[in-house]
Amino acid sequence: MTTESISLTVNGQPRRMDIDPRTLLVQLIRDHLGLTGTHVGCDTAQCGACTVHVDGRAVKSCSILALQADGTEVTTIEGLATGDELHPMQQAFRDCHGLQCGYCTPGMVMSAIELLKHNPQPSEQQIREGLEGNICRCTGYQNIVKAVQQAAGA
Amino acid sequence: MSATRYLRPTHLEEALAALGTHPWTVLAGGTDFYPGRVGKPVDVDVLDVTRIADLRGIQVAGGAVRIGATTTWSELITARLPNVCAGLKAAAREVGGVQIQNAGTVAGNLCNASPAADGVPALLALGAEVELHSGSGARRVNLGEFVLGSRRTARRPDELVVAVHLTPWPEGAKGVFLKLGHRRYLVISVVMVAACVALDAAGRIARCAVAVGACSAVAQRLSGLEARVVGMRPDEAIAGITNADLTCLTPIDDVRGSAAYRRDAALTLVRQAIEQAATP
Amino acid sequence: MKRDLPASAVRTGAVGAALPHDSAHLHVAGAATYIDDIPELAGTLHIAVGMSTVARGRLVAMQLDRVRAAAGVVAVLGHADIPGEKCIGPVKHDEPVFAIDRVEYIGQPLFAVVATSLEAARRAARLAQVTYEEEPPILDYDDAIRANSHVLPPLTLVTGDAKAAIAAAPYRLSNRLLMGGQEQFYLEGQIAYACPREDGQMLVYSSTQHPTETQFTVAHVLGVAPSQVVVECRRMGGAFGGKETQAAYFAAVAALAAAKLKRAVKFRADRDDDFMLTGKRHEFRADYEVGFDASGRILGLEMTLASRCGWSADLSGSVNDRAVMHVSNAYHLANVTIRSLRLKTNQQSANAFRGFGGPQGILAGEHVIDDIARHLKLDPLAVRKANFYSADPSSPRAMTHYGMRVEDNVILELVTELEASSEYARRRAAVDQWNAREPLIKRGLALTPVMFGISFTASFLNQAGALLHVYHDGSVMINHAATEMGQGVYTKVAQVVAEEFGLQVRQVRITATDTSKVPNTSPTAASSGADLNGKAAQAAAREIKARLAAFCASTHGFDAATVEFRDGRVMAGAWERPWEEVVRAAYMARVSLSSTGFYSVPKVGFDPATLKGRPFYYFAYGAAVSEVAIDILTGESRLLRVDVLHDVGRSLNPAIDRGQVEGGFVQGMGWLTSEELVWDAHGRLRTHAPSTYKIPVSSDVPEAFKVSLWERGENVEDSIFRSKAVGEPPLMLASSVFLAIRDAVAAARGGVPALDAPATPERILLACSAGPAA
Repeated sequence: MTTESISLTVNGQPRRMDIDPRTLLVQLIRDHLGLTGTHVGCDTAQCGACTVHVDGRAVKSCSILALQADGTEVTTIEGLATGDELHPMQQAFRDCHGLQCGYCTPGMVMSAIELLKHNPQPSEQQIREGLEGNICRCTGYQNIVKAVQQAAGA
Repeated sequence: MSATRYLRPTHLEEALAALGTHPWTVLAGGTDFYPGRVGKPVDVDVLDVTRIADLRGIQVAGGAVRIGATTTWSELITARLPNVCAGLKAAAREVGGVQIQNAGTVAGNLCNASPAADGVPALLALGAEVELHSGSGARRVNLGEFVLGSRRTARRPDELVVAVHLTPWPEGAKGVFLKLGHRRYLVISVVMVAACVALDAAGRIARCAVAVGACSAVAQRLSGLEARVVGMRPDEAIAGITNADLTCLTPIDDVRGSAAYRRDAALTLVRQAIEQAATP
Repeated sequence: MKRDLPASAVRTGAVGAALPHDSAHLHVAGAATYIDDIPELAGTLHIAVGMSTVARGRLVAMQLDRVRAAAGVVAVLGHADIPGEKCIGPVKHDEPVFAIDRVEYIGQPLFAVVATSLEAARRAARLAQVTYEEEPPILDYDDAIRANSHVLPPLTLVTGDAKAAIAAAPYRLSNRLLMGGQEQFYLEGQIAYACPREDGQMLVYSSTQHPTETQFTVAHVLGVAPSQVVVECRRMGGAFGGKETQAAYFAAVAALAAAKLKRAVKFRADRDDDFMLTGKRHEFRADYEVGFDASGRILGLEMTLASRCGWSADLSGSVNDRAVMHVSNAYHLANVTIRSLRLKTNQQSANAFRGFGGPQGILAGEHVIDDIARHLKLDPLAVRKANFYSADPSSPRAMTHYGMRVEDNVILELVTELEASSEYARRRAAVDQWNAREPLIKRGLALTPVMFGISFTASFLNQAGALLHVYHDGSVMINHAATEMGQGVYTKVAQVVAEEFGLQVRQVRITATDTSKVPNTSPTAASSGADLNGKAAQAAAREIKARLAAFCASTHGFDAATVEFRDGRVMAGAWERPWEEVVRAAYMARVSLSSTGFYSVPKVGFDPATLKGRPFYYFAYGAAVSEVAIDILTGESRLLRVDVLHDVGRSLNPAIDRGQVEGGFVQGMGWLTSEELVWDAHGRLRTHAPSTYKIPVSSDVPEAFKVSLWERGENVEDSIFRSKAVGEPPLMLASSVFLAIRDAVAAARGGVPALDAPATPERILLACSAGPAA
């Protein structure tokens, strides 16, 4: 098997390794780096559970090759908190009960952060449309929308 | 199992040289290519073109627009474009969710040639041309001649799509995109319609382009309709649109909708799209 | 001590608080461990199954040499490799683990490939060459009825004389309603991780709602005693019924490979395989004739409820029983005959899904009411009220058609309150005015009630156990039979224990559901998790409290009955000590600080042969008003506003309960609008991925979504702190969306619309296009 060398920064830590070129970014994150907070929900770039940030933009890590992230800065759900202090979006999801089974939560939080980055004061409709790339089967989205509103007000 | 090769050139010449000697699978955003492959084999050699500077970015000059091949949908949405591109931007917002718009590219959508690709009808209505390069030269092809069928394009294996070009429309022309699905978003649609309309000083239709997607293997321009309505007031043009204008469509029955439903819905959407595009 | 005081008197803080989910802080940090996140043991192998590509026929030959020879493959397992039972299934053992001589649906497992990587296993599984002798599949209702194809024999519930009542009624009508199925679409797919232990024992991490059945299935397939097998489940990434029976399959196959190869083996189905392998909500067809009077009151009803059960029985018996019982919803039916047909079809085996037949039964019943109202040109709400069960338990109109007396009826009270708070009458008029004015966009409005029976209809399942340890420093660990799938049962049970001991909830450590800690568990299903396990945990806590009280009383010379546990302290009159000090002293005095707890639901008993008895301990009530708009040229629909009023009794945790109501409603809305399962003529499921199967997303839910928990709600039965179950009932509130769409279609075309579920744009357009019916 041929391997390719990749170096990237994950949650602030420089990483360098040799990987099979077919490795998907989500496999690199979960299997090679052991960061299992990024979940695989649908395997087909639909559900958004695997959303991470690559150079500050939300992408579905099951839909790109790890090598496409060579040289980039990747942030996963594990990279948001500062020590014991949760990121305001994480705190808002907890406070507002924006989760039930929790499986979609990491991807939802990552997408919501991107949403506020481009639109710090979104309307409710903009929040609902901005989260269309993330599926939640449990909550009916009400508390997720509230969490984003809380984080926007924070 | 044979090893997979991965090539990521930074210069166009490198990419073209590679394509001239080996059947590479060209990869840009990868959003339509990798889904479904988690835990499944990917047995193709990949040419990643996302690091080629010449393929990036959007340039606007005198109403003409050049969209570099690796321009993402998100970049398109935030670019300053003429009003006639509003339908194209609306189509861009329908592509997947934000995460897919951040990674997926305009040219990639064309090259995948899915019958339900969101970008195709809007680009068709705008009269887009595809710029292709190879080791032996360059050519431009009308989008209507570039997409040949479901998952088939006029791109030769040694060619690379470098950019998509939009020719100028009259000042004040407006573009519209309408999509119908079980759900508005993340949906491979049942019917899509894009329309661009320019009115003359008297409020009559000076130029009109309408394209319908997901109702045939390849999205179709309704050229008969477009020619017939020139010189008409929008309301009389819309009143005269019938199924006869849609005979070039060949909708099929599938899990997303029956042929009869698609035809009915397409007629409604064509009328609505022209009405909206003709409303300043 | 054992007396249940009025709820208001015994609550000291933990119960009734809107606390976050016990794992919320982990979920937002990506630190909650699902099975696929457990660090793998060295040498862990992975599984993919080869599936039938033919819906019905004889399995002639399987050529697996290429599969075995493929890179990374360690073993290929078929039915001959099973040391124990070759067939599994929760009620009838009618599901071969691997096809033996026949195939019965496209997707049926034929063999398993065990390989060094998931990729290698999946790649190899495709290399099989299988020869079938194909037979025409049975897919349609009428084909199955003609072929006498049933998973269980037909059953009829008879009360009164429906035929005579219909014949004598001043008005009659008949109709048919088709209801589609629904994929559970738990975000975490089916998964099991089997780890062999010494002396033939097996530990299986399983994403299962039913650890005990999973344990027994594994044991039966391996041919060992269930005591050799431990099944553990800390949490599931959603389940919704889909992991009640179906999880056992994945556990059994993983364990089979693990036992054979003496290595840890993981079986994770990808989304596509999960769709093809596992069952979904039952599709139903309701055919009925109803006789009624001028007020719309039902005098007699004859109905045939047929369901497509797929290739095996699974839980289809109980699902269909519940459908038959819920046809009445909140309405009195004096003369009724319901025929229940559990049809065997060559599809995935339909299984449990939130509501468990209730949604289909209720929608069929609501469809009857809606037909009557349209026939008589009355407001459907008036017809509903004319048919409600009496609130007087002694009235003949408080008797259900299955012979249970309704003793807790609050439906009229609740509906009347919602009618006022949602401004139903004003909006009804506004919708009518809109429709008179607007030719292309029609609006519709509907208020529908829900009255859902709480308990397993299989009465023996109404039991639960708990195991409670108090360590000698005062810290507390609770374990119980319920599994956590996001519904918050762990949180609620921890609240109960904290309440009993007068501690903070964070002082109670709740641990993974584990068959070696609490045995013989019932599935976490039928909305019963908190009801049953809260009571079991409470019993364990009260046992330990009794021991501590007796210890304090004997040491200090006061009456044990005066001892209270509050605010982290133990007190009796003027005497009080910190909890930790009392626990430590009891330990030093050799008092046992560990107890099991057990609970069995009183009063219930039901004869599944006649469908008569008291299947339910009590009822959960709710109602919703939905307003929709449809585009009559494209058939698109949009939910504009929802008002919900739901009775959760005295809520154990209002934040969690509200989440259940909101989530259940949206899931029900998906079932009735966008989620469409399509099988082709060969029996192949065509909508087997999220690209074609559409569950609701955030923008499908309107901003105007007002959910209220009914303030006056209180369980008349002795449930855990007078709360009511909340898992399933809210899903059926979404009937209001479907009937609002039907209302809008009626505005477009007049008469009684022909609209089946789900109300996709295509069906809506078709229903609008059909000429007005009589």
